[in-house]
Amino acid sequence: MFSELFLPVLMVIFMLVIGGYAVAVLDRLVASALGTPQAGRVWLAPMSRGAWLLTQHANATEAPDWRAWRLAPALYLALAASGLAVVPWSASLVATDLVTSVVLWGSVEALATVVIFLHGWSANSLLALIGGYRYVALGLSYILISMFVLIGVALPAESLQFTQVVASQEGLWNVIRQPLGLPLFLIVGLGMTFWGPLNLADSTDLAGGTASEISGPPRLVWDMARAGMLVAFSGVAATVFLGGWLGPWLPGPVWMSLKMLAVLSVLLLLGRLLPRLAPERCVTLMWVVLLPLSFIDLVWAGIGALL
Amino acid sequence: MTLTTLLLLAAALIGIGIYGALSQQSFVMLMMGLELILNGVMLAAVAFWAFSGAGAPEGQLLTIIVMAVMAIEMAMGFALVVAVFRGKQADVTESLTGLKH
Amino acid sequence: MESMNHGLGVDIAFLLLATLAVVTGWRVFRTDSMVRASFFLLVSFIAVGVIMILLAAEYLGVAMFFMMAVEMTVMALFMVMFMMNPAGLNPMNMVHQERIAIGAGVAGFLVLGAMALLATFPDQPVPASLDPVRSLGNEMLGDSMLIFESAGLVLLTTMIGVVVLSSHRGRYGAAAEGSMPPGLEPGGDPAGKPEEDEEGEGGHHHHHHHH
Repeated sequence: MFSELFLPVLMVIFMLVIGGYAVAVLDRLVASALGTPQAGRVWLAPMSRGAWLLTQHANATEAPDWRAWRLAPALYLALAASGLAVVPWSASLVATDLVTSVVLWGSVEALATVVIFLHGWSANSLLALIGGYRYVALGLSYILISMFVLIGVALPAESLQFTQVVASQEGLWNVIRQPLGLPLFLIVGLGMTFWGPLNLADSTDLAGGTASEISGPPRLVWDMARAGMLVAFSGVAATVFLGGWLGPWLPGPVWMSLKMLAVLSVLLLLGRLLPRLAPERCVTLMWVVLLPLSFIDLVWAGIGALL
Repeated sequence: MTLTTLLLLAAALIGIGIYGALSQQSFVMLMMGLELILNGVMLAAVAFWAFSGAGAPEGQLLTIIVMAVMAIEMAMGFALVVAVFRGKQADVTESLTGLKH
Repeated sequence: MESMNHGLGVDIAFLLLATLAVVTGWRVFRTDSMVRASFFLLVSFIAVGVIMILLAAEYLGVAMFFMMAVEMTVMALFMVMFMMNPAGLNPMNMVHQERIAIGAGVAGFLVLGAMALLATFPDQPVPASLDPVRSLGNEMLGDSMLIFESAGLVLLTTMIGVVVLSSHRGRYGAAAEGSMPPGLEPGGDPAGKPEEDEEGEGGHHHHHHHH
C-alpha cells in the first residue's frame, strides 16, 4: 500500500520542488550570463522571493469567482504534477506507468487551456480576461501541433507508453530520426507555459495578464506551477526525443536529469533571447507555418515506420 | 463498483441530462443537457464492455463513436446558434418561430 | 453478481467519483454563471473518465479528458459571446416547462435504474490477458475500419457544413438576408440592425456586426 500509493506521490512532490527551484536558479544564471544584472545571490534569491510572497497580503478584486480564482493556480500545479507523474526515470523508476501516458500528456496540455482561461476569467478584471482569451486562441494550436508531434514518436514505438517510446530509441534517438519533432515540441513547450517569446497570456503589455491581479501566496503557487509545468515539459521532451534514461556509463536517472537540465537551459535561453510576438501574428505563424510542418513531421514518421 | 452501481450512475446522469435538455431555454445550455445524456451513455457502454462483454472490442469502439457524435453535435449546434443569433439577435429557443432564413 | 477482483480502494474511489459526477452534473443547471456551468460539466466528464480508467478502459478514460477539455473550453467561449450574464453576477433562471422536464428526468432515471436493478446481464468480465488499448486499436483499424472511416468522413462533412452555416455570406447574398431582429423596445429599432450603407447601390457591402 505504502510503496504503491505514497512513494509515487512523494516522488512527484520532490521533483516539483527541486525542479521549480532549478528553473528559478537557471533562469537567473541565464539572465546574468546574458548581461542582465540580478539582485541578490543566485542561489538564495528564489527562496527569499518565495518567503516574501508568503508574507504578503493576497489581493482581492471586486466580485471575483473566489473558488475558481483560488483553485486555478493549484489546478495548474496539479496538472504539472500529473505530467511529472508519467515521466520515466528508468525502465522501472516511474511514478505511474500508464499504458496511455502519451495521451495523458496531451490531456494535460488541453486541460491547461481550461485552467489558464479560468484563472483569467475568474478574477473579474479586464486585463486578466484578455490574457485568458489570448491563451485559448493560441492554446488550441499548441495542442494540435503537440498531438501530431507526439503521434509521430508513438509510431516507431508502436505504443502510447512513455517507457516504450524510450525503449524504441535504443538504436537511434528520435531527435535524429524525426528532425522536425524537437524544434516544434520546444515551441509548444514555450507556448503552454507561456514563457519568453510566447508569453502572451501573462505578458507585460497586459500588466501581467491572467496574473495581473494576484499577489501573495496565490501568486507564489502560480509561479511555482508555471515553473513546474516547464519542468514536466522538459521531462517529456527528454523522454520522447532525447532517449530518456538511455546512455552509457552513468545510471539512467542521472542521464535523465542531465537531459532535462539541457532542455530546460535551452528553453530558458530561448525565453531570454527571443522577443515577444504579437498575438495575432503568433496565431498566423502557428496555423500557417508550424501546423503544416507538424503534418510533414507525422508523414515523415509514418514513412519511417513503414520502411 | 459493480455493473449495477455503474448503470445506476449512468441512469442518474441520463436523467439529469433529460431534465436539462427539456427545461433550458438557452441553446447552449440545452446542448449541455444532451452532452450529459451522452456522458451517461458512454459510461454504460464501457461498464457493459468491462463486465458482460467478455472484452469484445466493439464495446470500446461504441464509446469512440459516441465521442465523434458529441463533437458533431457540438459543432452543428454552435453553427446553428451563430446563424440564429445573426438573424434574430437571440439565443433562446422561444425566439425561433420558424427556420425561415 | 460480478467476479472482477478489485480492492477496497477502488470501491471508495468509485463512490467519490460517482458522487462528484452526479453533483457537478446537477450543478450545471443550477449555477448562475454560464462559464461555471460548462466547467461543472467538464468536471462531471472527468469523473466519468477516471471511472473508465478504473474499469481498465485506459485509452477511453484519458481520451475523455482531452476531448472534453477542448469541447468545454469552446463551450465557455460561446457562453461569453452569446449569453447575458456569463459571469453569474446576477441570479438567473432561464427555464421553461420545468415540471414536465423534472418529470421526464425522474421517469428516465427510474426506468433505466429499474432496468439496471432488475435485468440480469451475462457475467463475462474482460479477460485478464486482454490488452484493452491494443484491442481497441486493432478493431478501429481492422474489422471496423469502415465505421471509423465513416466517422471521419462525417466529421469532415460537419466541418464544411459548419463553415457554410456560420459564414456571413451565402450564394444568394448575406446569410441574414430578409430576417428582422426583434426590437429593443416594443415598436423600436431592431437590436443590432446593420447601419444603412452610405455607398448606396453597388451591392456587396459588409454588414458590420460586432459581437
